[in-house]
Amino acid sequence: MTAPKAGAWGKMANRIQKSVPMLMILPSLLLAVLIIGYPILDLAWTSSQEVSRFGKLIGFIGWGNFAEVFADPLFWESLSRTGIWTLAVVAGTLVISMPVAMILNDDFYGRGVARVIVMLPWAISLTMTAVVWRWALNGRSGLLNATLMQAGIIDQPIEWLATAGTAFIVEILVGILVSIPFTTTILLGGLSSMPQDAYEAAVVDGATGWHQFRYITLPLMKPFINIAIVLNVIYVFNSLPIIWVMTEGGPANGTDILVTYLYKLAFRFGQLGKAAAISLVMFGVLLIFTILYVALISRNDADDAAPEAEVDDEH
Amino acid sequence: MNTKLRKSIFYWVLLLPLAVVNIFPFAVMFVTAVRPRDELFVYPPTWGFSEFRWENFSEMWVKTNFGGALMNSLYVSITATALALLLAIPSAYAMSRYRFAGKGAYRIFLLMTQMMSPIVLVLGLFRLMMTLGLVNDLNSLVITYAAFNLAFTIWMLQSYFNSIPRDLEEAAWMDGASHLTSLVRIFLPLAVPAMVVTAIFTFINSWNEFVLALTMMRSSNDFTLPVQIYAQVAGRYQVEWHHVMAGTVLATVPVAIVFSWLQRYLIRGMALGAVK
Repeated sequence: MTAPKAGAWGKMANRIQKSVPMLMILPSLLLAVLIIGYPILDLAWTSSQEVSRFGKLIGFIGWGNFAEVFADPLFWESLSRTGIWTLAVVAGTLVISMPVAMILNDDFYGRGVARVIVMLPWAISLTMTAVVWRWALNGRSGLLNATLMQAGIIDQPIEWLATAGTAFIVEILVGILVSIPFTTTILLGGLSSMPQDAYEAAVVDGATGWHQFRYITLPLMKPFINIAIVLNVIYVFNSLPIIWVMTEGGPANGTDILVTYLYKLAFRFGQLGKAAAISLVMFGVLLIFTILYVALISRNDADDAAPEAEVDDEH
Repeated sequence: MNTKLRKSIFYWVLLLPLAVVNIFPFAVMFVTAVRPRDELFVYPPTWGFSEFRWENFSEMWVKTNFGGALMNSLYVSITATALALLLAIPSAYAMSRYRFAGKGAYRIFLLMTQMMSPIVLVLGLFRLMMTLGLVNDLNSLVITYAAFNLAFTIWMLQSYFNSIPRDLEEAAWMDGASHLTSLVRIFLPLAVPAMVVTAIFTFINSWNEFVLALTMMRSSNDFTLPVQIYAQVAGRYQVEWHHVMAGTVLATVPVAIVFSWLQRYLIRGMALGAVK
């Protein structure tokens, strides 16, 4: 646009012109601040308040709620279980998704069908998946027991969800299952952008399949693997539906992770102060991972601009 | 045997366990949904059953107030999607067409909101809705779903908007059209397919959401489908699993088909926001 030169009118037109994009983002900004920003402040306030037995805030107690949380053995158990849950699901997902993505990236008969089947769990919500698995794992008549018994693998039905030990393992497996589609998609994105000539050169040099994977695929895939890990950590760390629907953190708090424990404190036991304190702890952890994620994608952006810069960042 | 065939067989053998485990829940869903009630808890457990009882679906519809929950889910998902699009379209346009101070900061801010899960904020959100008098009001879900979907919606639209050539609008300005006219007459019609795809994903996200719906909706008349189905399972001594599975089939299969069909577009939205 050819703006009129100098003069008060020109300046004003210029100012209006400049504020147009601001006005366009303003409505979305306001909603995001109200719904996502404000509750954080409210949690900070709630976490500093003493709470009556009836869930009313009755006065300032500073760090009291945090002290109570840190003195609570159930918090530490849930925290360590959150660590195991997150680590196991993210690692398990990655280990399965990498070969699956490599297969789907190759050309073979029935690839279209294979893609749809691999992505299936993504099409159903976590809540519904968990409801179906809760029934499938029913200790008496569940269809998993039916399958295993009809195949002659077991001769007594197994009470999958009745003890915390097996329930937690099963929940981790379901967690892995539902995380595979998203992870495979990210890895496929990486694989399809891989330069073909690197492989051709390697074949000429006599590199075997494993060497190709170890020295070409894996290093080139590193940015995508990193992003898949960080995003999965964030999603899995926060995920309530699977554990909540299948066992509600039970039996006897044996499968509680931070989110389920927090939810019970807030909405079953009315311990708002403690629940707010745990929310803030989780917010802190999330913030760290989000910053890590922002750093990762901006580094990838920078790498796109200057591919040579990547060499020294391996060391 | 040619090499591609051999490779295909090898790959399918590798994929088989995953395929079986992925299809298993769907099989469980269907087989249970059409089973007669007295064949639910048989011993020893078995896949077989005597007859297809399609009446399970109509019985379930009446007994679990499925229709009511369906209307609630439709209302919330459609309204939240409309609100999210209404706010996201101008934002995405600004992000795509203008340079302005704070653009980078806004991008990071959106990313942060994308990473915040409702569960971490749920107590604060509940207290906010108490203050606004929106607990037990479906509109509390409408505004929260719209807010949590903003980042994704803006990125998705922005990535499409970037692909619409500027020349078209500039040509219109040359012909004397105002910016507003060119926006409404030229740009938006071109962006319709992008908006439809984005809207469908926002709709599905809202349709599937569980934690906030579970928290904000306190009376069973206001339950959305995921909460309604969960309520048939949680804390009940006798669960009518054939009804639960019939409900699950109806609530998920239509959405699952649309999702599978449009899934390749989803990657584009993630591509800009997540994997650059």
